Amino acid sequence: MTYFSKLRPLPILAGLAVIAFTLASCASTQPVCDSPQTRSLDRAISSVEASLTNGCQAHFDRYYDDLLTIAEGDPKPENKRAFSEFLVWASDQGLLSKRQAEDHYNRYFNIKFMSLRGDYNNCSHTCPNKRKVLFDMERELSDKERGLLKVSLDNQGYYRADELFQEVELVLEATCTACAAGR
Amino acid sequence: MQKRQPRPRVAVRQRRISDPALFWLLPATVVFAAFFAASIAAANTPTIRLFPTTVVEDLRQTGEVARDMETGLQEVIGRLDQQQQLYQESKCDGAENDSGCQRLARQIGATYLDMLTIMDERLPDMEHTVNNTRLSLEKNLRSELGRKMTPWTLQETLVGKSSNAATAKPSPTLRGRSGMRLSERFRQYHQLVATSGSQGDQSLAVLASDIYLDMEETSLLIERTRQEIARATLMEQLNQSFGIITPEMMEVVGGVKSILFGDEEARTLVAGPPPGDIEQAYRSPLEQ
Repeated sequence: MTYFSKLRPLPILAGLAVIAFTLASCASTQPVCDSPQTRSLDRAISSVEASLTNGCQAHFDRYYDDLLTIAEGDPKPENKRAFSEFLVWASDQGLLSKRQAEDHYNRYFNIKFMSLRGDYNNCSHTCPNKRKVLFDMERELSDKERGLLKVSLDNQGYYRADELFQEVELVLEATCTACAAGR
Repeated sequence: MQKRQPRPRVAVRQRRISDPALFWLLPATVVFAAFFAASIAAANTPTIRLFPTTVVEDLRQTGEVARDMETGLQEVIGRLDQQQQLYQESKCDGAENDSGCQRLARQIGATYLDMLTIMDERLPDMEHTVNNTRLSLEKNLRSELGRKMTPWTLQETLVGKSSNAATAKPSPTLRGRSGMRLSERFRQYHQLVATSGSQGDQSLAVLASDIYLDMEETSLLIERTRQEIARATLMEQLNQSFGIITPEMMEVVGGVKSILFGDEEARTLVAGPPPGDIEQAYRSPLEQ
């Protein structure tokens, strides 16, 4: 009887299977990307920053939403700064481009509308898409309600944004009518 | 040894004078330079030209024409109101065959015809001035806001140079126009436009848009009214022979009254936002 024939094949196979399974599970270990569990915005931001640097970049939008929800629980004007600093950090870390960081901040915390941007004149660019532009602005206004009103307690800022939306609606209506009449 | 020449007194005095002069001259020069630079900067700041003098003049003229029309119609409409009141007090509703009621109905119809005639005479002038204002504004809006501005610059114009909400001036509120006399409306427009130099560009853009849209509406209304007057006159001339008051007649009179003299029921109060929190000095480096 040879040496190999003395070995039992079943335990060997079982052993190999266990090793292969262990290696496979090690290779596909997912980072834990849970939402922050604290109600303090500062601690939540620290926790999110740690998660983002540990491979959870893909969850950035969810984390941002989580932070807004936490900030809504303790609204105050200083929250604006906390979000700004967090976004600047994200931009410095290369998680967001500068433009993306600006968009994230201004969409929630500035009275101006990011959805009203463009490099071409109003007659040629805005008027043909007026309905879409106003629809996007309306959606942005609800984000501003969250950022300015519910997170930062900036009532005046939010009401100015709301007023700006109405003014843009009126001015675009008049301007686009005038543009159409000139064709 | 050469005796040192004393320094001339004049020079000394000049030196003494020039010290305090320098003391004042330097800050004065700085202030003047700053003022000069500011005025140059202000002169270079692009301002939108939405209300040239022609538009201001058109608005004034429209207001005058509207006032003339109101004055002409006021007496006729007052007479119509009295006659209608008499008709109702005489319990003529449902007693149209009564000879007295028929006479009253004919009188009302005749006054109604008077009203239509006055409107027919005055409306062409009104139409002309309203159209002039509308076309001037249309041209300026197209050029200044439509072609020269991008959506972002338009937004910045509306927000104003200072995007700080706390310092923003309240813009003119022009909603709820139906509760106002026509001439009063134009008088207010004229006043707002004539004093527009004191307002920022943001108010001007809103004001011009509001007036332009109002002119569009008014122009359309006048055109339709003129078309209807001929038909209504013919109908009323026919009705005169029967002494009938049609519901349409009452509707027209009601409509004219509400356009010309304002409609109290339609006067709506525009709710302003509650006073906000002014504590918002923080400005993010990400803010645009």
